[in-house]
Amino acid sequence: MPLIPRLTLAVAALLSGLLLAARMHPEKGAFLTGEQDRPSGTAAPSFATIVLNTGAAGSQPMVHVASPAAYPGGLATVWYGGTSECAPDVRIWFSGNPDADPAVIMTREKASRDLGRPVQALGNALLIADHDGSLRLLFVTIAMGKWSGSQLNSCVSKDGGLTWSRAERLTLSPFFNLAELVRNRPLPLADGGWCVPVYQEFLGKFPELLWLGSDGSWRKSRIAGGCTSFQPSVVPLDGRRAIALMRDYTPARRIHLARTEDGGRSWTKPIPTSLPNPDAGISALRLSDGRILLAYNDSTIDRRNLSWAVSGDEGISWRRIGSRPDQGITSFSYPYLLREGEGIDQAFTADGKRITLDRFNEGFLDRLASPANP
Amino acid sequence: MSPLPVHEFYAGIAPWAALSLLLIGRNPHPGLRRRVAALLLATLLLLVVPVGGWNAAAWIRVTEPNPSFTLTGLLLVALGSRLFGQHLFRREDWRAAWIFGAVASLTLYPMGLGLTPIDPYAWGWERILPLMTGPIAALLLLRGNRCGILLLTALAGSLCGLQESTNVWDAILDPVYGIAAMLLLPGAIRTKDPGTPAEIRCNGDGGRQTEGMTV
Repeated sequence: MPLIPRLTLAVAALLSGLLLAARMHPEKGAFLTGEQDRPSGTAAPSFATIVLNTGAAGSQPMVHVASPAAYPGGLATVWYGGTSECAPDVRIWFSGNPDADPAVIMTREKASRDLGRPVQALGNALLIADHDGSLRLLFVTIAMGKWSGSQLNSCVSKDGGLTWSRAERLTLSPFFNLAELVRNRPLPLADGGWCVPVYQEFLGKFPELLWLGSDGSWRKSRIAGGCTSFQPSVVPLDGRRAIALMRDYTPARRIHLARTEDGGRSWTKPIPTSLPNPDAGISALRLSDGRILLAYNDSTIDRRNLSWAVSGDEGISWRRIGSRPDQGITSFSYPYLLREGEGIDQAFTADGKRITLDRFNEGFLDRLASPANP
Repeated sequence: MSPLPVHEFYAGIAPWAALSLLLIGRNPHPGLRRRVAALLLATLLLLVVPVGGWNAAAWIRVTEPNPSFTLTGLLLVALGSRLFGQHLFRREDWRAAWIFGAVASLTLYPMGLGLTPIDPYAWGWERILPLMTGPIAALLLLRGNRCGILLLTALAGSLCGLQESTNVWDAILDPVYGIAAMLLLPGAIRTKDPGTPAEIRCNGDGGRQTEGMTV
């Protein structure tokens, strides 16, 4: 090649690199702790529970992975239901409020049409109530096989869940974009974006964070690698500091904890806490007085109870405060804690067949934690 | 990003080129009819023949929605050579492409799939990757290596949003290219450049000069 074309192309390469770099958003927004820490007042202890109307889904063998979100219309919830996990008939359901009839908002046929390629099955879904009143759905499609063939997708509703935009694929993994799943409550960011706990389940199982920008962009970062813990539940302590509590995947069968001091850019190595975990999902949030509430299965072998523990020292030590009444339920899975107004909502899968919503307040937790109620 | 027509069109180029190459076969001098037939047949197979209600291009997008610009470029270069008999890439260009692919793969995939707490795939959303790739491309181009054109294309393609992915890694590397690079790199390294005195041998067949490898 003659010198002039070589020089021209080299300059073009440098310019392309610079232009592309200038388009990147290297900084992640700070955690917005205000929304997590709304004061809950001094109301009398209260606890109520309802079994979510899963409509036609109630006649299906399995419903799972409920994700509620508080939005202007009330408490909306999504979950998936079908004959079994990863089955082709799994659909994603939406309920605008706990008493309303649910509606199917995503099937594998619709996902295939939207994404322009065949989809084998659907999986975990997560609902985000955006700042502008719209609802954003993140959901898993399975391209092949089981969960290791998962990919994440997104669509939006601007009318309270009645209609949804065409789904779009999020490319999050370097290896054929495989094995990305979503689970647990998203955190609002000060810049209007969201930090969403996700995880990879391919060669290893490890926790990650999906950063959704207010401009529609996305990126991903890692909490830890390897094959020790996943499905993080992230609790911000302030704008830059947070802890992530994680489901265990080691023989230790302990809930793992990692910390960040720089807004999620880097994390400490996950270490086991004193709390057991039977390789099951957990959920945590911050109470109005700064303590951290954790919902978990207090066992190393099964999911027969759903318990609560609190930490007053940012996760260093934990105190068990009690278990949810079992009400004949023999398996509690995938708890999801959410603060709504002055109360706390807790959704979970009961016996793999029902979505149950508990609503309680901090007075109820205080009574559980009081020395008179050991 | 949603699968815009431009994403679907771009994602189909690499499979089309690969299929066309397969259909042309190993004949070193394919006839015009065979070349045209191969291109048409590849197009038909990808776009028209339904498999389970979807065309083959859609099935390929299930597993490989983001062929890299480097892989697409290499396949087009190979196809162009077979169609027109012109070698667009010299041996050192191919060698640079395999070295780049192998090094990038070893950097990205083990750690990207969870070997360490560091995730190099996240660099693809940060400034570091385009700021590193730009100078590498410029250096190759200044040295006259045509692999630099592929990297320039990758940066420009990512800038124009031609892929479904927004990650710059997906513009410069994909698993197919990575695996091919690691398989072909040893052979490419063993093969010496023609043209330099030390590497040109007389093989005793009447003084005809041949390129470095045993012929």
